[in-house]
Amino acid sequence: MNFLILLFGKSLSKLSKAFNLGHGSTWPGHIALKLNPNFTNQLLRKSQTKIILVTGTNGKTTTAKLLETIFETAQKKVFLNSSGANLLNGIASSIILKSDLTGKLNYDYAVFEVDENTLPQIVKKIEPDFIIALNLFRDQLDRYGEINTVAKNWKNAYQNLSKTTFILNADDPQIAYLGENLNSNIAYFGLNDKKFEYATQQHAADSILCPKCGNKLTYDAFYFSHLGKWKCENCKLERPKPSLENFKYYPLLGTYAIYDTLAAILTAHKLNINDEQIEKALKTFKPAFGRQEITEFNNKQVQLFLSKNPTSFNESLRTIAGNKAKHLLLILNDRIPDGTDISWIWDVDFETLISNDIKLYLAGDRVYDLALRVKYAGISIDDENIFEDLSVAVAKGLAETGKDEVFYILPTYSAMLEARKILTGKKIL
Amino acid sequence: MKQKLIIGWLYPTLMNIYGDRGNIIAIQKRSSLRDIETEVNMLDLGFDKKDLGQCDILLMGGAQDKQQETVAKDLFEKKNELKNMVENGIPGLYICGAYQFLGNYYKEASGNIIKGLEIFDLFTENPGENAKRLIGNMIFKTENFGKIVGFENHGGRTYLGKNIKAFGKVIKGFGNNGKDKTEGAIYKSSIGTYSHGPILPKNPKLTDYLIKTALEHKYKQPIELNKLDDSLEQKARLAIAKRLSVGI
Repeated sequence: MNFLILLFGKSLSKLSKAFNLGHGSTWPGHIALKLNPNFTNQLLRKSQTKIILVTGTNGKTTTAKLLETIFETAQKKVFLNSSGANLLNGIASSIILKSDLTGKLNYDYAVFEVDENTLPQIVKKIEPDFIIALNLFRDQLDRYGEINTVAKNWKNAYQNLSKTTFILNADDPQIAYLGENLNSNIAYFGLNDKKFEYATQQHAADSILCPKCGNKLTYDAFYFSHLGKWKCENCKLERPKPSLENFKYYPLLGTYAIYDTLAAILTAHKLNINDEQIEKALKTFKPAFGRQEITEFNNKQVQLFLSKNPTSFNESLRTIAGNKAKHLLLILNDRIPDGTDISWIWDVDFETLISNDIKLYLAGDRVYDLALRVKYAGISIDDENIFEDLSVAVAKGLAETGKDEVFYILPTYSAMLEARKILTGKKIL
Repeated sequence: MKQKLIIGWLYPTLMNIYGDRGNIIAIQKRSSLRDIETEVNMLDLGFDKKDLGQCDILLMGGAQDKQQETVAKDLFEKKNELKNMVENGIPGLYICGAYQFLGNYYKEASGNIIKGLEIFDLFTENPGENAKRLIGNMIFKTENFGKIVGFENHGGRTYLGKNIKAFGKVIKGFGNNGKDKTEGAIYKSSIGTYSHGPILPKNPKLTDYLIKTALEHKYKQPIELNKLDDSLEQKARLAIAKRLSVGI
């Protein structure tokens, strides 16, 4: 049975690629699971491949890519599911693609980024060697419901995974709490560095009640949003001591990316990869699709910062401000992958994060909502820099960006794909 | 002397899940453009009753269930003060969870009943985890503020009692319960609604109503607010209206 599924799945994937039908990354898995719901378990049991699941609201793709680079540098064979194909069918598809026709995977590691909402279903089908839980922020409430519900479902799902090692973020109360009463190996990462601290909590902060007793948490330090050195005065739950708090080299800008890097390093440590190899890997690291990715267009540098919720938007703005940005395009779409609710833009701290030196360009399906947000933040914006057509916005921004400057783009998810297509499709100018 | 409004923001850290902070920003901005000073009184867990009494406008947003429980305990202690303010005509805007909480009760999916503040004559029921949440862009028509453009996202269904009027009539979306076409509730100068968005930035008439009513109440004289340039607000409204095929 599985042989036929594999043969069929591999052919289907080739066909849809050849004819550019799209969905090549999820169809084969979808059909395989229909034919045999236990397909993934059966296949994975045949191989020695270690399975690493990466989940959380922000940073999944970057963390998976960091691990891939580290493993490859350490001369290990590794494969990932393709970014965005992070439901069970996407994972099954990547297994079909990477296994031979007997169903064997000749890889040392498989790193799968997993949608935070479907994780409980996925661990029923795949018993992972590692679960990396990065963070839990408000993201697409319209689709996922509230973060407390997501956290509760995770906690239930994890009770039965005795063979799994958990790599958890100590600074995120909801994530750290997952480790309580868990009969598994757990290792925590977190920050401990004055230079990342904020004086006060940011507006986007989500999870500020104790995940155990519901009391308001107190913080000795905030790193970003609700991440920091927290404790509960009521039930005495507190941030667990991290076993990894810093590293000598970080390939990406911004506090959020430092967490991703620490998560990847801690996992690598557990797999006996030494610091020398890790550092070497990080120095060759190239960012994932749209995540601080730099492209060149007409000899000008363009850098894309995927910004899909208040936390990632704030962090992107902060990082860009630190780079003394002069030209910045913000793109707000409200399609399904972006989340149809755009109210979160009012939790972004435009008031403090956009200086008068930055020339702003606005675009996207909800460009006027974005313009309204910017206006109410007291930032002046000319009508001529509000664009209904994204390609015109990109063209104008690029034209006004000098040779030695960088044109920064902060898009939501579907806007990132669109912007990328414009930049690589050479449709403009 | 410069006029001044004190905005009471009820539970800003716990009841601000859907960007309802934008409502505070809108009131502040539209006041400052008219040279009216504003001050935001953050009424967080354990706040003093006296601080509530000083406020000229009240705002309260929605939250996650867990946070709502914590808030409920706290607010019950100040129920009488809040009720008096509503009865005295202090303008207020209560969104989603806050709106439900001002009603008589909330019946959870399990059948468990959570008592409300009994300020608005209405109740809310959650029909169970299998019933779909009511989510999406919405437009409803109000008597005094024209068409309101917003975004709703709620599991509970609210039904109005005899002693309260609907805030508006649903044109596109679900509204109070997805059945009777009512949306929100209005009692004296207090408004409850399911509309996030946030509601005020894209509905400047409503924002101005809250400002004007608060000033009139405070200074005991009729107030006329200067007109502002709302062309951007109008464009943002139109974008959604067009998508939902509603004339605005």
